[in-house]
Amino acid sequence: MAAERTDPPAVICRAVAKTFAGGTEAVRPLDLRLEPGQTTALVGPSGCGKSTLLRMIAGLEPPTSGSIEIGGAPPAETLRRADLSVAFQDPSLLPWRSVRGNIALALSLARRPADARAIDELIALVGLEGFGDTRPAQLSGGMRQRAAIARALVTEPRLLLLDEPFGAVDELTRQQLAQDLPRLWEARGTTTVLVTHSVTEAVMLSDRILVLSPRPAAIVADIAIDLPRPRAPGDARTDAFAALTDAVHEALSQGMARAEPPLAAQ
Amino acid sequence: MTTLALPAPGPRLRGLVLTLLALAGWELAARALTGAFVLAAPSQVLGWLAANPGLMARALRETLTNAAAGFVLGNLAALALAALALLWPRAQALVTGVALVVFCLPLVATGPILRVIFGPGAGPQIVLAALAVYYTTLIPLLVGLRAAPASWFDLVHSYGRGRWSALVHVRARAALPYLVAGLQIAAPAAFLGAIVGEFTGAERGMGVLTIRALRGLDVPMTWALATVATAVAMLAYVALGALARRLAPDAPPLLLSPPPAPARRQGLRAAALVCAATLALWWGAIAAFDLNPFFAKSPTDVAAALLTDADAGATRAKLGVALAETAAFLLPGYLAGLAAGAGLAMALVLAPQVAGPVMSAAIALRSVPIVTTAPLIVLALGRGAAGTVTLVAVMVFFPTLVACLHGLRQTPGQVMDVMDSFAATRLTRLLRVRIPAMLPAFFAAARMAVPAAVLAVTVVEWLATGRGLGSLMALSASLSDYDLLWSAVVLTTTLSALCHAAVARIEARVLRRYAPEQLT
Repeated sequence: MAAERTDPPAVICRAVAKTFAGGTEAVRPLDLRLEPGQTTALVGPSGCGKSTLLRMIAGLEPPTSGSIEIGGAPPAETLRRADLSVAFQDPSLLPWRSVRGNIALALSLARRPADARAIDELIALVGLEGFGDTRPAQLSGGMRQRAAIARALVTEPRLLLLDEPFGAVDELTRQQLAQDLPRLWEARGTTTVLVTHSVTEAVMLSDRILVLSPRPAAIVADIAIDLPRPRAPGDARTDAFAALTDAVHEALSQGMARAEPPLAAQ
Repeated sequence: MTTLALPAPGPRLRGLVLTLLALAGWELAARALTGAFVLAAPSQVLGWLAANPGLMARALRETLTNAAAGFVLGNLAALALAALALLWPRAQALVTGVALVVFCLPLVATGPILRVIFGPGAGPQIVLAALAVYYTTLIPLLVGLRAAPASWFDLVHSYGRGRWSALVHVRARAALPYLVAGLQIAAPAAFLGAIVGEFTGAERGMGVLTIRALRGLDVPMTWALATVATAVAMLAYVALGALARRLAPDAPPLLLSPPPAPARRQGLRAAALVCAATLALWWGAIAAFDLNPFFAKSPTDVAAALLTDADAGATRAKLGVALAETAAFLLPGYLAGLAAGAGLAMALVLAPQVAGPVMSAAIALRSVPIVTTAPLIVLALGRGAAGTVTLVAVMVFFPTLVACLHGLRQTPGQVMDVMDSFAATRLTRLLRVRIPAMLPAFFAAARMAVPAAVLAVTVVEWLATGRGLGSLMALSASLSDYDLLWSAVVLTTTLSALCHAAVARIEARVLRRYAPEQLT
C-alpha cells in the first residue's frame, strides 16, 4: 500500500472533450499523456479551457466524451482515495477557520491523521510563519493563495493540480516558491500539472509545456524544458531559458493566429 | 467610503436622549388629549402596571411560555424542512411552496379552527406561534445552506468526499449567521403568534387582557399591554442579536435574501405540484387526526360550497364583497408601506448624518409585533379606512426600511471609489449605483411583506372595523358557518400566495437586469 502510494501516477487523456450545457465547446477531443513524477505546465490565453481540462483531470468535471486515467484508474477512484490535491485559482479558504485550521481541514477531508508538525513546516515553506492562527480575512490576497498552496501540499498527494496558484503572490515570494516547491514535489515524486498565464513561470517550474489554442482548447505545441534542476531566478537571464520562452511565445501567437484569422489578417 | 456611519457623539447617549425626548413628547401629547380616549400617558401606563402587577405578570408568563414553546417547535420544523430540501434538492420548490401556503394561512381563521380542534388550553397559541416563525427561519436557512462559493464544494469533492462532508464542513457553518438572523426575526414573531392565538378565546394571557381592555375602552390598560408587548419583543430581538454577534460575527449580506426564482415553465410546474401537495396535506390532515366533518371541511366540501351548493351564489357574493373591502385597505397600505420604507432609506443616504440613529430605531421598531399595537391605532385613527391602511403600511414599512438600508450598504466599495474618482454627487451615486444595489433587498422585503400585510389587515378587520375577509372569517367562526369560514381561508391564502408569486415574478425580471448573480 505504502509503495503504491509513493509511485507517482501517469495521467492519460484519450480523446477527452468538453462541451458545456449552453453549447460552449471548451475542449476539443484531446489526447495526452503526462509522465509520472513530471511537472507539466498548461499555457494558453484567458478562457481557453485550461482550467476546464484541469478540472476534468481532477474528476470535478466529467468530460463530455473520451476518458481519463490516473495511474491506471479513473479520476473518481483517485478522488475516492484522496490521492490528489487541487490548489484552486480562488484560494477558497473557509473564512471561519485560521490558516492552520484550513490546512488541517485537508487532512481531515482526506481522512489522514492531524499532523501539527507537517502543517507548521508547510506554513514556514510558504512564508506564513506567525500567521498560523490568523483568519483569511486578515491576510492579503497573495498570503491567502500561499495558504491554499500549503493546504494542497499537506496531504502529500501523488497528483498535484495547480490552477494559477501564484496569480496574487508578490514577485519576490513567487521567486522563492518557484525554487522551493519543485524541490518538494521532486522529493516526493509528485506528478504535477500547473495552469498558468506566465510563460516565465511555466519554463521555470516545469519539465514540459503544453501550449493551448484559444477556446476550444487544442494543443498547439508540446515543448520539453530540459533545463537542469535546481533552477534559480538568475537562470531566467540565460540564453537557453530565453530560447524556451521565445518558443512558447511563438506557439501562443501561432495558436491565436489560427483561431482568429480576421485579426491576424489585419 | 461608507456614508451611513454613525455620527460622532456616543450613540448610546444619543439613544438615551432621544428615548427621553420621545417619552416626554408622549406624556405631553397624552395630557393635551385627555378626554379623547386615545392616548394614555407613560405615567398612566406605569400607574396601571403598578396597580396590577400580579395580573400583568401572570398574563406575561402565560404568553411567554406559549411563545417559547411555539418558537422551539416552529424552528425545529424549519430545520427539518431545510434538511428535507437539502437531502432532496428537487423537492426544494415543493417544500418552500407548501411552506409558503401554510405561512399564508390567515391566523384569524386558523386560530378558531385550532381552538375547535384543541379545545381549551394552550394548544392553539403554541401552534400559532410556531406557524408565525417557521417560515421566517426556513427562508434564510435555505439561503444560508447555499451561501458558499462553488469552489468550497470543489475543495471537499477534490478529496473524494460527498454531500455529508460538504454539509458538516461547509454548509452548516456557512448557514449559521443566516440561521441566527432568522431566529432573531422569529423571536418577536413567536410572541405575536401567541398573542393572536390568545385572541381566539384563550383563558389567560396578554391577548386575553388586550381584548378585555379594548372592549372596556380601558385606554391605560390597552397602552400598558402594548408597551409591555413591545418591550418584550424588542428585548427578545436585541438578546438574540447579541447572541448572533457572539456566535457568528460574520453577518450575512442580506437578512432575507430570496431563494432563486425558477424559470417560467418550471414555476408553473412547481405551482401545480404545490397545489397538489397542499390538497393532499389538507385531506391527509383531516383523515390523520380524524377531524369532525362538521367543522373540518375538505377540499371537496369547499368546492361544493363555492360551486354546487344551493347557496353557492350567495357564498360567492359574500366573499366577493369581503375581498373587495379587504383589497381596498390592503393594496394602498402595502404600496404606501413599501414606498415609505424605500423612500426614507434613500432620503437617509442623501442625509447620512441622521442615518445611524434612524437605522437603530428602525431595527428596534421592526421587532415590534405591530398587530398588538392595532388597538392603539384603532383608538387613535378610529375604525375607518385610515386606521387600517396605516396599520398595514406600518407593518410593511419597518422591514422594508431595514432591508433597503442594508441593501444600500451592499454597494461594493470599489464602485464607490470609481464614483469618487469622477467626483459624482450624492444623487448620482444614489441613482446610478446605490438603488440598483438595493433592489434585491427591496424585493426580498416586498415579498416577505405580503403575508405580513394580509395578517395585519385581517386582524384589524376582525378586531376593529367589522368589514372585509378578516371580519367575515371571525363572524363565520363564531356562527359555526364552517363552509363559509373554510372558503374564506382558501380565498385569503390563495390571495396571499398569488400576490407573493406576482411580486416574485416582478423581482425575477428586475434582478435579471440588475443583479443576475442572485438568480444563479
